[in-house]
Amino acid sequence: MTIRLRSGDEIALEDACPVEDAATLHEYLVAAPGAIVDWSACDSAHTAVIQILIALRPTVRGHPRSPFLRTFIAPLLQPRQLDSAVGSGRG
Amino acid sequence: MNEFLDQFLLESRELVEQASADLLVLERNPLDKATLDSAFRAFHTLKGGAGIVDFFAMAEVVHRAEDLLAGVRSKDLSLTSAVVSECLATLDQVGTWLNEIEATGELPGDAVIAAEPAQGDTKVAEGETAVTVARPTAAEGWATALAGRHPGVGASALNAILYTPAADCFFEHEDPFDLVARLHGLLAIEVEPVVPWPPAGEIQPYDCNVAILALTRDSPAAISAALGSAFQRCVVVPVSGVDAGRSQDLPHDAKRLVEAQLDLLRDPPVQGRLGRLGSAGNVVRNVLRSVGRASEADVVEAAARAARAANDPARLTAAIAAILDGVSAPEPAVPTVVDSVAPRTLRVDAARVDTLVDLTGELIVVKNSIAHLAVQAQAGDSNVASRIRDIHTSLDRLMAKLQRSVLEMRVLPLQQVFQRFPRLLRDLGVAAKKPVQLVIEGGDTEADKVVVEALFEPLLHVMRNAVDHGVEDTPTRRARGKSELATVTIKAWRDADHVVVEVRDDGGGIDVSRVKEVALKNNLVDEDALEALPDERVIDMIFEPGFSTARSVSGVSGRGVGMDAVRAATRRLGGTVRIDSLPGQGATVRFQLPFSVMMTTVMVVTAGGQAFGIPLDTVEETFRAEAGRIVPIAQGRAIALRGQTVPLISLAEELGLKGLDPERPESIVVVVHGHLGRGGLLVEDVGESMEVMLKPLEGLLAGMRGIAGSTLLGDGSVLLVLDPAEILS
Repeated sequence: MTIRLRSGDEIALEDACPVEDAATLHEYLVAAPGAIVDWSACDSAHTAVIQILIALRPTVRGHPRSPFLRTFIAPLLQPRQLDSAVGSGRG
Repeated sequence: MNEFLDQFLLESRELVEQASADLLVLERNPLDKATLDSAFRAFHTLKGGAGIVDFFAMAEVVHRAEDLLAGVRSKDLSLTSAVVSECLATLDQVGTWLNEIEATGELPGDAVIAAEPAQGDTKVAEGETAVTVARPTAAEGWATALAGRHPGVGASALNAILYTPAADCFFEHEDPFDLVARLHGLLAIEVEPVVPWPPAGEIQPYDCNVAILALTRDSPAAISAALGSAFQRCVVVPVSGVDAGRSQDLPHDAKRLVEAQLDLLRDPPVQGRLGRLGSAGNVVRNVLRSVGRASEADVVEAAARAARAANDPARLTAAIAAILDGVSAPEPAVPTVVDSVAPRTLRVDAARVDTLVDLTGELIVVKNSIAHLAVQAQAGDSNVASRIRDIHTSLDRLMAKLQRSVLEMRVLPLQQVFQRFPRLLRDLGVAAKKPVQLVIEGGDTEADKVVVEALFEPLLHVMRNAVDHGVEDTPTRRARGKSELATVTIKAWRDADHVVVEVRDDGGGIDVSRVKEVALKNNLVDEDALEALPDERVIDMIFEPGFSTARSVSGVSGRGVGMDAVRAATRRLGGTVRIDSLPGQGATVRFQLPFSVMMTTVMVVTAGGQAFGIPLDTVEETFRAEAGRIVPIAQGRAIALRGQTVPLISLAEELGLKGLDPERPESIVVVVHGHLGRGGLLVEDVGESMEVMLKPLEGLLAGMRGIAGSTLLGDGSVLLVLDPAEILS
């Protein structure tokens, strides 16, 4: 398996994650919205997997082995800019 | 301007409106084929019109947007918000041109130059895929903006790619990111959802919902080679050369001035940020102009405007930073739609004009009978008096009819003002990073032209507040189980003589405890009084002038900005505004406005020997009160009315006239209501009520408290009409 649920709400992505991992990842993240995704052992990931990360923005841990993921995708998964958080005055 | 051009302006404006509205619908619902067709038609007709008046620059630019939509229709392209932004940018450009044509009466002289780079040159790339490689223009906003957002690499980028994979591409073994990763010269990537992300549980993992924006050093041929068949789903725009000719640094002093403004903007926000935004923008603009870089000056000016509109200095900072870096400044992402497309021409139903023609005929008949009457009077006819009365009756009837017809002609559907909001709200939402949709209900409700046009500003304030402060940020909404896509509803309906307009958001509602905090801090009210106030009165305090300037609310300037202005503007129209809030479910701002501002029914009262008018819709009742019923309370007087205490004010004293004789056995009380509650006015006499044309006071008298306006009476004297709400407060 290239995707595993470790103990303590941690999801690991390893090696080359194929398109099928997207559904599993989605399932895990919907069940545990606060889960952390460790992708430090990830060599590559299908767009479907990356799409789930982009849509749900879990906290990711580690630097993936793939230079593409590290350089171009990781910045897209930064915690959301907090500039909208100040709008909570009325809420 | 010739009539031909006039007609072109009128039609083009309508088409721009239509196309904008369609695009915004499409952005939410990309699969809506009917709307796509409608948008396509609008662009197509716009292009045709431009061709007819020989405005080739516009035809060319519109043609390119039309091409994009054609691509979407033939399913070669997905309708991403980048495509929508692109088309909207084209419409903005067209709007600017239309304004220019209107101002000068001629086609813009520099449009020919503007059209030059807009000519797309079709190249056949390797792999025999024909692609239109367009040179950047103002309409190519997304590519320029993309380069601007990556100042570090933007300068070395050659091409910007917008790649929108098909939703079912995963089933075709297409792995978009993998394809993009094959680009050797890849510099930066951005991703946006094709349709806004649904709640987490409803995401379809095997539907591709991402559009990829990329900056690369690769040539179109290399891109085509790397992406293979997916290249057909890409828009490639060269971004090199955007900063050519600007690469030289600013002169030393100019640079230091510009840098100083940047530091100023980056300081933590303190008092008067809006003013600071404006002045920093002005300084940079003037510096750039003085060194002959006018186009960049324009960009900074636009960015400053956008930043002020969004109350967020980020845009301006980015634009200035880009100039310092030698990178072309990004196009402001929030174009201020405010100054475009205001309706300048009135389209009137032909039947209404026919009514006027008929009335004119009848009036001529009456006029002729007056000439006849004059002859009779000269001849000493004894029936003249009764004839005059007859004619007066006819005239009275006709004038009333005329007045009504003219008023009807000034009536416009509120849609005129509403239709400007979908675009505006979208841009506000983008600026605040909160996806927002606008729902319009009752746009066909009609109101006087003056009311409709004057509503824009207050509604804009309210909507901006709704997006900035009402709607929660996405994580909060998600945590509260709300749809990430917030909804702002604007709804209008006719209620007897009034038009009601309601703006409702599904945000967090108003935080009453925070309002209390601010009100105390700004000494709007003392603590004891505050405790006694019901929540709705507390919420109402956000309309107080002192409240909106409150800086301490959250450390963010602009909180509540303009709510006092909103109430002031509404009152100028003779309306009221109130706000209701359901904690956690949103706030509703409700405007109640007169259907027509021209005609007001007033009651004439006498105070201090002078006649004054009081708008009848503020009068609750009128009665005589014996002196004994009026009791002194503190410094004032009051009367008990059906178990309630009503404070009394002597109108004459209030207006600085000779007061009533305190020994009078009996007083006349007019009970009026303002937004702060009701009160009684002591007057000497109450006269008839009449319909008057209310004219606001002008010049020196404009700011006079307590006076709503004036009108001329039949005997030529001036009647001042009072504003009871102001008198009571």
